[in-house]
Amino acid sequence: MNRLTASRRLAAALLVGCTALTGAANAQTTPNLRAPHLKPDLTTAEGGIWDQSDKAESHVRASAELDSDPVLTAYVGGVVCRVAPEYCGDLRTYVLDRPVFNAAAAPNGYVEVNSGLLLRVRDEDELAFVLGHEVSHFARNHTFARFQAQKNTANAMMVLTAGITIAAAGAAYSTARAGGPYAGQNINTISSTARSLNDLVYLSSIASLFSFSREEETEADQLGFQRAQHAGYRPGASVDLWNGELDEARASDFPKVRTSEVRASIFDTHPVTSDRIAALTAMGAGVVPAAASPATTADAARRYRAVVRPHLGDWLKDDLRRRDYGQTLFLIDRLAGEGEDLGLLSFYRGETYRHRRAPGDDALALASYRAATVQPDAPAAAWRELGQACHKAGDQACAKDAFSRYIEHDPKAQDRWLVEADLKSMQQAGGS
Amino acid sequence: MRFLILALACIALTGCTITNQRLGAETDIGKPPPNSKVLLVRPDVSLALLTASGMQEAKADWSKAGREDLTTEVKVALETKAHVFEAFDPDAVQDPHAVQLLRLHDAVGQSIMAFNYGLIKLPTKTGSFDWTLGEGAEAIGHDRHADYALFVTTHGTYASAGRKALMMGAALLGASIPLGSQQVFASLVDLKTGRIVWFNVAVAGPGADMRTQAGAKSLVESLLKGAPL
Repeated sequence: MNRLTASRRLAAALLVGCTALTGAANAQTTPNLRAPHLKPDLTTAEGGIWDQSDKAESHVRASAELDSDPVLTAYVGGVVCRVAPEYCGDLRTYVLDRPVFNAAAAPNGYVEVNSGLLLRVRDEDELAFVLGHEVSHFARNHTFARFQAQKNTANAMMVLTAGITIAAAGAAYSTARAGGPYAGQNINTISSTARSLNDLVYLSSIASLFSFSREEETEADQLGFQRAQHAGYRPGASVDLWNGELDEARASDFPKVRTSEVRASIFDTHPVTSDRIAALTAMGAGVVPAAASPATTADAARRYRAVVRPHLGDWLKDDLRRRDYGQTLFLIDRLAGEGEDLGLLSFYRGETYRHRRAPGDDALALASYRAATVQPDAPAAAWRELGQACHKAGDQACAKDAFSRYIEHDPKAQDRWLVEADLKSMQQAGGS
Repeated sequence: MRFLILALACIALTGCTITNQRLGAETDIGKPPPNSKVLLVRPDVSLALLTASGMQEAKADWSKAGREDLTTEVKVALETKAHVFEAFDPDAVQDPHAVQLLRLHDAVGQSIMAFNYGLIKLPTKTGSFDWTLGEGAEAIGHDRHADYALFVTTHGTYASAGRKALMMGAALLGASIPLGSQQVFASLVDLKTGRIVWFNVAVAGPGADMRTQAGAKSLVESLLKGAPL
């Protein structure tokens, strides 16, 4: 990078000022990065954005979605520090139990990582790429650049329309209603203050802090890739991650998700196109050895699984709340492909079929529960659900056996009395 | 010249009408008995600059000034009352139950705004002002043995000079552009029963700029005028 020419330096400097207007950054350009331990003055617009971010952070700290496992949080925070050692002291990582593929880094150093992301990455290398991507938005201060760009756009729009007499008033008013990161908070009457205090409005204003332009996403991809690679992670992980996301999109129950390459997530301003994957593949090819040996990859996946194993069941249960059973089944199959946690995964496969209730799903659920119960890591609930499935299918012997085994496996189960009542009524029915 | 005078009158007029205090119906619970302990929850203040184009730019320094001024003035306004007041920092709360109760208060406050002040009416809440956090609300000030908690929340904007100029230009042409406005919400919670015994909404008038000590004083006086304290 020491061969960076003056013109490139100029280009990089310009990029800071007008990110929204310029095209994609040159892949080799090292853009201006923020200094570690930056703290803007309270009176500046940036200080205002920090204040908003601080509020979002304290909101999250009191949130029921905040994951309570300090080990997991420390692990994810550790990966953040590996990809961004210079900002390690500035970044505070929070794991949120949300079944959506997402992560974000706010300008004040607040980093949120959804459990839905942790469920989807296959190893630490893929996680490192995503975190590197998010940290790059932070390092390049994209939130602030976006705010400035929106402000410039709004001002430009106003100047353009100001000459057209009354139209100016209408345009400025509608800008206030529809545009800008805090437009949702615009309040003029008491009745509309009800909306201003609404949590959804508040959250949508926070979400706007995390919406970036295509150029900014491309840049974050490049810088995130470099960060992960520099920290010693597998260069191919970024491509694997996006390919995996595309595969999951194709597995969706919903035609709209299947046909669209855009994901409704933090990356929604930038479709996960083949272009983006191609760009990352090219970057990977430049830093051979791009392809890790399959054994190394499998090893990394096993190590990562060991970290997330205690949460796997909860995360899969959460994933069912999305009601995209095609995607949940895809995820379970992919996780099972690594040959571990087969009892737990079979159980959740059964749960997915049970929730989906499509024709033939009863039989598929029963088979999955049965497959789960022969594995050493089957959760006790697998026997209870097997019992229910058998009962539903009219196989009373199987149901009785499974219910008894459930009580054997979990004698202190809260619903033990219910299962015992079922058993009793079956015995009476069988006896009569 | 006539237009200009008209426009200025228009500004003055909107300035006056912004002051619009509304009192929530008091419940049959009445005033807290003398020597009750009241927690003054640190005000939640979010202030922003309303730019000419209508964008809002969060201003951390204004929010900080507003928060500090309101805190001081609420304390001053209540010093003459026969109760014990204690400052309370919601961010310092550790007990998860108390944290959730504070969140619940936010949610109930939003419902009050929507159903008592908004356009929607709830068929089950047509008569008295009847909102509660439920039993167990005393966990909010558990270790302080408090009887009541007073919450103050503000969201608002102040128009930039450019915005004001645009407003005047538009007024000359007969169009109206909204300038900034600030709303303040206050609620008093009986921690023993969880009931919200008093709720008030004030829209700051021209002389009640909470970023200044004098403005905050005027604002707090209007806000707490009908408080059963």
